[in-house]
Amino acid sequence: MRLATSLAALSGALILSAGLAGSARAEAVCSHDLRVLAQPRDGLTLLEKYKDEFKKLAGASFDIDYLNENDRRAKSRADASTVGKYNVYYIDEANVALFASSKWVAPLLDYYPKEYDYADFDPGRQKVATYEGKVYFAPLTGGGDLLVYRKDLLDKAGMKPPTTLDEFIADVKKLHDPDHGVYGIALRGQRGSGANVWRWMPYFRGFGGQWFDGNTPAFDSDAAVKATQVYLDLFKYSPPGTKTGSWDESTGAFLSGEVAMLIESTPLAGEAIDPKVSKVVGKVGYAPPPSPLTGGGYAHGLAIGAKANKDEASKKCAGLFIAWATSKENEKRRLDADQFGELNRSSVMTSDEFNQKFGADLGKALAETAKVTAVNFWQDPEWPNLGDHWGIELEELIAGTRTDIKGSLDELRDYAKQLVANRKS
Amino acid sequence: MKIRTKLPIVFTAPTMAALAVLAFVPTIDAINIALQNRDLSNPDSLYVGFANFRALIDDPRFLNSVSVSVAWEILTVAATMLVAVPLAILLFETTPPAVRNGLCVLFIVPALLPRVSAAFVWRFAFHPLFGLAVYPLRLITGQPIDLLANPHTAMFTVAIVDVWQWGLLFAVIVVKLLETLPRQPFEAAKLDHARTWEIYAYIAIPMLQAPLISLVFVKMVESLRAFDLIYVMTRGGPGIATETLDMYAFSQGFIESGRISYASSMAVLMMAATTIAFTVLWRWARRWRET
Repeated sequence: MRLATSLAALSGALILSAGLAGSARAEAVCSHDLRVLAQPRDGLTLLEKYKDEFKKLAGASFDIDYLNENDRRAKSRADASTVGKYNVYYIDEANVALFASSKWVAPLLDYYPKEYDYADFDPGRQKVATYEGKVYFAPLTGGGDLLVYRKDLLDKAGMKPPTTLDEFIADVKKLHDPDHGVYGIALRGQRGSGANVWRWMPYFRGFGGQWFDGNTPAFDSDAAVKATQVYLDLFKYSPPGTKTGSWDESTGAFLSGEVAMLIESTPLAGEAIDPKVSKVVGKVGYAPPPSPLTGGGYAHGLAIGAKANKDEASKKCAGLFIAWATSKENEKRRLDADQFGELNRSSVMTSDEFNQKFGADLGKALAETAKVTAVNFWQDPEWPNLGDHWGIELEELIAGTRTDIKGSLDELRDYAKQLVANRKS
Repeated sequence: MKIRTKLPIVFTAPTMAALAVLAFVPTIDAINIALQNRDLSNPDSLYVGFANFRALIDDPRFLNSVSVSVAWEILTVAATMLVAVPLAILLFETTPPAVRNGLCVLFIVPALLPRVSAAFVWRFAFHPLFGLAVYPLRLITGQPIDLLANPHTAMFTVAIVDVWQWGLLFAVIVVKLLETLPRQPFEAAKLDHARTWEIYAYIAIPMLQAPLISLVFVKMVESLRAFDLIYVMTRGGPGIATETLDMYAFSQGFIESGRISYASSMAVLMMAATTIAFTVLWRWARRWRET
């Protein structure tokens, strides 16, 4: 029986690929190789192994240049605003508004072939990829936050995973035992809208904070002061190295077994069960973030560069590449390679194979955390500017070169007013 | 000397023209942009005169970056020379030529490493939990020490890497300079019962004055370009404790806000300031040597 179904599936795939190859021969969509600017992702590395497949499909190949996140943001901005030599940009929640409003990227769905089924992507990520009603990128990664904890340590202390922030803070203090190499929590201290500010925002939004009220900055509120205070207090229980560190440092500390629990973006769940990078395989539990914290909804993906693709034909080619790179087939390959953080399609994440691979616990935690996942940041082209500015002040507060929280927020408010004023003029 | 033929001009003119284009076009463009209000996300711009420069004076982060740059310059140049000269004398005095040559090769290796790689290696060496460089401190105090996250130690820590690369290389250069010096003044001084330190302080170093001053200038220019080292190790942090002028300009231009004109005005100011400072220092050094 099983043999029969797999044979059927195989022949179906053969027919499908034969059809695709046939259409490619009929009309080569691409006339030249595509240049892609991205940040390192396991999914993209895997994709590069299938270059020939894309060549067959589209008639040309592609080259990916990798830069790490902050540098990728700087470089893509510089490139898109000047020469524009990349056909495909890797963009994310922080700069989709900027890229879309500056017309550095083209609306994706005009060039995304229907049969690749864009609607299948996780709805939260579709929301992040949308600016003023138009979709600009196809997700490569994304998600929200999870409370990831060490089951063994909690069991030893006879504790249950916390469900409220007060419980969470109390548990962090209880589990904190640096003399035995265990820190209560791991946070991000490094400046940046996607670094320290990203981890701070769930507290800010969870306490009811708002970035703007219309065009008036509204963030210098009690919610922000309280959020900052809580964040700074929690830093006492975060391992050394995280004060100027970001995702790598804090998840690295957790994966090497030095941290009891942390609230981090969902891909951590995949890394925690990967024996190549994790020393805590089998000791990890997942839960949604303790209330009232919101999850930091985010997504990264590929978008069509407007400058490098001057005519419709080259936009179509870039669109086909993006569709192929994020297709069900390629996502399935990423699932087969255990790349949890690279999965974006609902059809894949609810499949039996997914559950078998990553366990029902994780599936359940993901479903629950989806309910509290929100867009925490200010959806505006000026967001990176404002967010990075706050990131520097926050880093100074964490490092201790600055102590006045309210004063810092007032400073940021003046800066935000200037930003809004500049835009109107 | 009277030039009898125009040939030298004919041969150098194309090169000089190419150099002039390479040097002046970006400079003039930078000045041009600095006088506008250009923003990366907006194709339109207006000439705003000196508004960017006026805004800089009221920008506390700019003033901070100027003082960080000056502190970085003084710290790294002084530390490099203070490491290079004594180390060279020590080598010259205590080691036989074969050993000395071997050590010289070793000392050049750090400078051969691309700076970004060196910065990554050292950043890990200073990691509070796994770092080799801070391991002894951790053993003694029993506490992990995060030198790069402490605003008081971050710049010194980055400077250590800079001196590791350049101090050792300069030590090799100074050793080679010492080897070229004539032996007679040293022998005469020894006959007069001069002590070793006196020989170096009053004879060798004054004899090497000109090349040592050149080395100081080379290091000054080099220290101005420490962007990559600082960027990898601290990104200007913690907060803005190690944010130099070029790093602030870069982050205004490309990371945070795309205010390319504002960043250009900083670059223009930096160019003017370094030109003036170097001219004054050069004149001063020349006059000092002549007296």
